[in-house]
Amino acid sequence: MLMFLLRRSLVLSVTLLVISVLAFLIPYAGEGDPARKILQARVNDPGLEPAQVEALTRELGLDRPIFVQYFDWLKQAVTGDFGFSYTSRTPVGELVTPALSVSITLALAALLLALVFALPLGIAAATRRGGRLDNAITFISQSAVSAPEYWVGPVLVLVFARYLGWLPSGGWTGPAFIVLPAVALSLRPLGYFTQVTRAAMSEVLAAPYITAARSRGLSFPVTLLRHGLRNSMLPVMTLFSFWFAGLLGGAVVIEVIFNVPGMGRLLYTAVVNNDVPVIQGGLMLILTLAVLINTVTDLLYSVLNPAIKVTNA
Amino acid sequence: MPSLTAPPPTTREPWRRVGPPSHRPNIFESLVRGIGGRHWTFALGVAMLALFLLVLVLTPWIAPHDPAIQDLGNRLAGPSAEHWLGTDHMGRDVLSRLMWGGRFSVTIAGITLAICAVSGVILGALAARRGGWVDELVMRAVDVLVCFPDVVVALFLIALFGTGYGTLIAALTIAGWTPFARLMRGLALEINAKDYVEAAEVLGSPKWFILFRHVIPNALPPVAAMSFLRFGHKLITVGALSYLGLGVQPPDSDWGAMLLDAQPYMERAPWVGILPGAAIFLAALSVTLIGQGLDKKKKSRRRRSVASGAPGAPTPVHGSALDEGEAL
Repeated sequence: MLMFLLRRSLVLSVTLLVISVLAFLIPYAGEGDPARKILQARVNDPGLEPAQVEALTRELGLDRPIFVQYFDWLKQAVTGDFGFSYTSRTPVGELVTPALSVSITLALAALLLALVFALPLGIAAATRRGGRLDNAITFISQSAVSAPEYWVGPVLVLVFARYLGWLPSGGWTGPAFIVLPAVALSLRPLGYFTQVTRAAMSEVLAAPYITAARSRGLSFPVTLLRHGLRNSMLPVMTLFSFWFAGLLGGAVVIEVIFNVPGMGRLLYTAVVNNDVPVIQGGLMLILTLAVLINTVTDLLYSVLNPAIKVTNA
Repeated sequence: MPSLTAPPPTTREPWRRVGPPSHRPNIFESLVRGIGGRHWTFALGVAMLALFLLVLVLTPWIAPHDPAIQDLGNRLAGPSAEHWLGTDHMGRDVLSRLMWGGRFSVTIAGITLAICAVSGVILGALAARRGGWVDELVMRAVDVLVCFPDVVVALFLIALFGTGYGTLIAALTIAGWTPFARLMRGLALEINAKDYVEAAEVLGSPKWFILFRHVIPNALPPVAAMSFLRFGHKLITVGALSYLGLGVQPPDSDWGAMLLDAQPYMERAPWVGILPGAAIFLAALSVTLIGQGLDKKKKSRRRRSVASGAPGAPTPVHGSALDEGEAL
């Protein structure tokens, strides 16, 4: 266990180092003088005085050796200080924090919705393996994982916001605004959760202790809930946290479509506007969280299921 | 007394096949044999994919209109004899644009998939074969990269290098090889422990020969299943990036870009905004059906071998929906 922790923290720090170097290099990559590009992003004016560019170069210390610049930048970055957004002139931290909480809300809503439907579907399919119900559920899950959310989303808007007028088409000012993006986002995880539940459940149902429980006189539903569910939930939970980590910054398309002020949309608009500090801060946060959440999941997995040792991971 | 039979051929390379080659089924034979005995959805997937590929290959000859020709007097027209699927906001024929756009979507997804599969298989096999620090390096890279959402990686690369086909393909490859490497490593470890590999080693076969003659061919079926499953995922991601205006750039257009163009006209002409998405959906569905059909056969076989094996041993879940669920 200790080895696992040591190894994983080593991996984590190397990853963070690599990501930080790449994020730091964003303004330097490509052609052109970084100071000129920063000014252009700030004032959105192609005609710049050379004196202005030179002044900014000196002000930001861009004439120093690049290593010195990197370590200075890193020193601030580890305290969470990525500077000010070029476009809104607010500190990156003040933009990122609310966006992250919005993304967490949306991701949890979508994934819980997916889970609520996936568990019964997966269990039903597992208990009727090879039957008509199983085939139908498998086909539904296959369709769900193949449905692009940027296709489902606009169609949902068309039907429920435009034609029926039941729900708002975009924005984030109340509980009603969560429904459509969460539904659109939940479809693909729903398919995967169903498949994993079915696979895990059918494996568990074939185990001898299920037969033992049944022969002790336990009814099938009770066996299912007490023995089956408990033992088959581990892979589903792993997948859940995997998707959760991914959706914190990866729900870009849905957040853009539904105008949800989350991490994905923040990062997307920053990339489009070349708002370097926001890109750097956002990327560092999203990728760190993704690795961290998955590491914790692996750890929990071994705690919850002692049969699987992490040392040979 | 001289022996009547010819002496066995002496060769420096005893592991090479001697004697007449045995009949090995070609791809077509195994495909025909493969469809039989599988679920009908597998056959449906094969038929759908074949239809898609046929139409996309023949597009230059069968597309009814030039996809770029505008007819502003006939904007957002509904389906008609002239324009089977109507026209878009610039009066361009939707069917022709779907056909030409599909060529971009499918080609980019195919290229990235090929790079991911080949590099993943090689790295996974290498990790299993070499063990030690190579294994450690590859698998730790997998652990980290597998958590990165494709779209975020793409945004990172676009911030660094700008948009373009190179960026697009790189973005889908950086994290995309990891499921293949993980799958291949597991399979290779299983295969490396087999008697025939030991026999080949005793015969003095070089490592590369064992890799290409024994390990990779025996790992192909699950790898093929995963390739199909990942192909659908790639199609969806390519479309997502194009939808954001960060993938295929104008004047080129793919299904995702067509969806983006159609957004302002969803209410007036819903088909313009629904058809390209339906194309992505159906194409992704076809490969998902194929992939899971292949996977299912493999699993039922494994289940039998597990049942006869040691009881209580946890079965490794490689190539299952869990790996495939790592699709963001």
